[in-house]
Amino acid sequence: MSTEKLALTTNSSARKPASAGGAFNALAADLTRALGPRKVLSNLSERLNYRYDAIQFGATPLAVVLPESTEDVVAAVRAARAAGVPIVGRGAASGLSGGAAPLEPGLVISFTRMTRLSIHPERREATAQAGVVTLAVTEAARPHGLIYPPDPASFRTSTIGGNLAENAGGPMCFKYGVSGDYVRALEFVDADGEVHRLTRDVFDLAGLLIGSEGTLGLITEATLRLIPPPRFTRTLMAHFPEVGACAEAVSRAIAAGAVPSKLEFMDRACTNAVEDYLHLGLPRDAEAVLLVDTDGEDLDTVQDELRLVEEACVASGGTVRRAATDEEGALLWRARRSVSPALGRIRPQRMNEDIVVPRSALPDVVREIRALGDASSFPVVQFGHIGDGNLHPNILFDPRREDAHAVHDLAHRIALVAIRHGGVLSGEHGIGSMKRDFMRDAVDPETLAALRGVKRALDPGGALNPGKILPAEGVDG
Amino acid sequence: MNNEIPVQTLGGQGEVMAHAVDACVHCGFCLPACPTYALLGDEMDSPRGRIVLMKEVLEGGLPLADAAPHLDRCLGCQACVTACPSGVPYGELITAFRGWSEPQRERSAFDRSKRWAILKALPAPRLFSVAARVGQFAKPLAPVLPAALRGPLDLLPESVPAMQPSPKVTPARGVQRGRVAFLVGCAQQALAPNFNAATLRVLARNGIEVVIPDGQGCCGAAALHTGARDEALKLVRANLDAFNPGDFDAILSNAAGCGAGLKEYPMVLHGEPDEARAKAFAAKVMDISEYLNTLLQNGELEPPVPASRPLTVAYHDACHLAHAQGVRAAPRALLRAIPGVRVLEIPEGDLCCGSAGTYNLEQPDLAGQLGARKAKNILSTTPDLIASGNIGCHTQIQSHVRRQGSPTPVMHTVEILDLAYRGEL
Repeated sequence: MSTEKLALTTNSSARKPASAGGAFNALAADLTRALGPRKVLSNLSERLNYRYDAIQFGATPLAVVLPESTEDVVAAVRAARAAGVPIVGRGAASGLSGGAAPLEPGLVISFTRMTRLSIHPERREATAQAGVVTLAVTEAARPHGLIYPPDPASFRTSTIGGNLAENAGGPMCFKYGVSGDYVRALEFVDADGEVHRLTRDVFDLAGLLIGSEGTLGLITEATLRLIPPPRFTRTLMAHFPEVGACAEAVSRAIAAGAVPSKLEFMDRACTNAVEDYLHLGLPRDAEAVLLVDTDGEDLDTVQDELRLVEEACVASGGTVRRAATDEEGALLWRARRSVSPALGRIRPQRMNEDIVVPRSALPDVVREIRALGDASSFPVVQFGHIGDGNLHPNILFDPRREDAHAVHDLAHRIALVAIRHGGVLSGEHGIGSMKRDFMRDAVDPETLAALRGVKRALDPGGALNPGKILPAEGVDG
Repeated sequence: MNNEIPVQTLGGQGEVMAHAVDACVHCGFCLPACPTYALLGDEMDSPRGRIVLMKEVLEGGLPLADAAPHLDRCLGCQACVTACPSGVPYGELITAFRGWSEPQRERSAFDRSKRWAILKALPAPRLFSVAARVGQFAKPLAPVLPAALRGPLDLLPESVPAMQPSPKVTPARGVQRGRVAFLVGCAQQALAPNFNAATLRVLARNGIEVVIPDGQGCCGAAALHTGARDEALKLVRANLDAFNPGDFDAILSNAAGCGAGLKEYPMVLHGEPDEARAKAFAAKVMDISEYLNTLLQNGELEPPVPASRPLTVAYHDACHLAHAQGVRAAPRALLRAIPGVRVLEIPEGDLCCGSAGTYNLEQPDLAGQLGARKAKNILSTTPDLIASGNIGCHTQIQSHVRRQGSPTPVMHTVEILDLAYRGEL
């Protein structure tokens, strides 16, 4: 599945509004009867905007529902079921795997208006509807001395529903765990329009929904665990003359006993793209930059851990700078969060990977990917949550001038580097449609069959987000 | 964003638009910055959604009339530009698109005459002043007037001050350290003549000679941002003729919207014979706060007299200063330079107040919601004074703050500095 093909599909469907509904759109009419006009979008100018996420364009939906309650979601699912069309859930569409971009015309349910949020400090919990913006949870919890740690780079935009559907990570997740680790309970609407409320007891059905990318059900609300923020945080930046040396520093620091809360890496091209945006004085000539936070309740321990990291960096040939103030630290982290979109300054489109490899393999992996990039005609950049071995190699390209098949081939070879070193394809972005073709390399046929069994049990009609995660059936062998 | 915009057939402005669409990676980082997305919660009314809509219209896949309601709701505040890591020049895109699309728009007779009246009255301070005086008498009738007329009346001050013509040359006091040209602006001459008077006094006090060149007029931003490109081009060229950048250290504006407009001249004339002139001109343009802050940073600013008592000032970032011109630190630094003044940050400070040029007149409902939200956020800091650097924000904030029952004075940053120099703060 190439982004080029998808973009073309989209454009052609945009030019033929009649085929995508037009004036007579029975689904939209049914939905409007059930939900009222304010919650249903049926004009082409409206539907066009619900066919993409942050990485690719999909098919223009026949109708879009903006529910305000779980009951609205039930009504929407029932109408789509009656019309026999697929259903795709969508949060802020800031995802990077194509998870929220529909592959077939159908119904998109966009949760951006389901934003009810309550904080229960006595239980250290938040109850958030699917459309609550990720950062809003911490903002609401902070006055009670609590935070919600998962911090995907898009956390000012992304929603809790989308984060759970993709099981999003973020820099904080190295020490504190990913989105799914903070779920105490989930409410979801299944393919029949039934509402279920799940906890994490046996069977951990909530766990099944987390990371399922809307293929098993639509998450409408979550009860999230909150924690008190660490009392002290310290930040340092190290830069290296070679990418492998940066990875070696990470292994060395962790082997020495440091447990940083964040350990992030970006290569030279990423640093330059972000510097073009923020003008922070980042080291443009360094081949790799490492950003590290240590945190905790005891300042001495926090400082000691930072020193361990500092020594590891210096021993690996790095140059270290400590952030003098919290503001300087915050700016460095803003730089890190901006990397992914800032790559648009280099080429308009990219194939984004999300591999996770064992930490011991990191130096080899980053060097091998670097070599693949150097041997290709594309800019290949790398950044990511290097502390837990989660890397985002990105192939940057211009679809008007460069061959999408060559991009796909290179992406496949990069994925194989990860798999060869005992890694997996997705750490936090999900498989979506972008990496679906690579699933057969990553998962053995028996496991794939089991995944298909789960899908059939929960969505026998295949109405929920078709074409995502699992490769097309019949060609598994 | 992959696109097939026919750049060749669209000319210089086509290049501007295609470049912006190219640069968008549809990451969605702009969504939380957008005031209409905050109010409406749908993708079509977000910057990313609007870029897709403009792309589709330019490619011929979507009728202009279908996209227009969502594009018209854009305030042009450019908060999305600040939030955008991939560097999409969204302001240039929407401005160029409005210029390209306006001649194709089908508008009602009422809409057309409203636009005509706005674009005639705004650039003509005398006409505007007369209209404002007439409007003042109509104010008591507001409750029985149609909604379209109520908005502008709400924004008029209780009393419209007399126009104060500015002298062509204001000499420096003491040793002359610099020489600047000054754009006097339009509506603010009628609504807040003290802005200019205070500006001239503060500059003179700092040893700066101020020249107000003949032949200058409206910056053209209002026309440009509402798609009246031909009208705007006339105004732009008149100003290029009136100001000779070689004669001055800087060309100053004290209205964020006008200053941003002046800095846009090279984009407006992209690919046209006057582009080089426009670049030379725009390179000299500075907001009054930027200019004074360079004096402050060089240790050359005359020290203001301390405030008579400790004062808190809530500083409101005008979108056309903070987002369009990237000027945030300078006005805060100037206020802090007054001993006794503490600057307060306003919650949701990046969110537009809803004034946005003619937006108040074109989208009164959304403008009203944003105005009320801004006033509530400002008043939550319980300031002694409210400062901003833009006449549009000034009237909008004043109107909404009063409506929420607060008598807190709303002033231009340079008015506060002026009071300090006079020992009246």
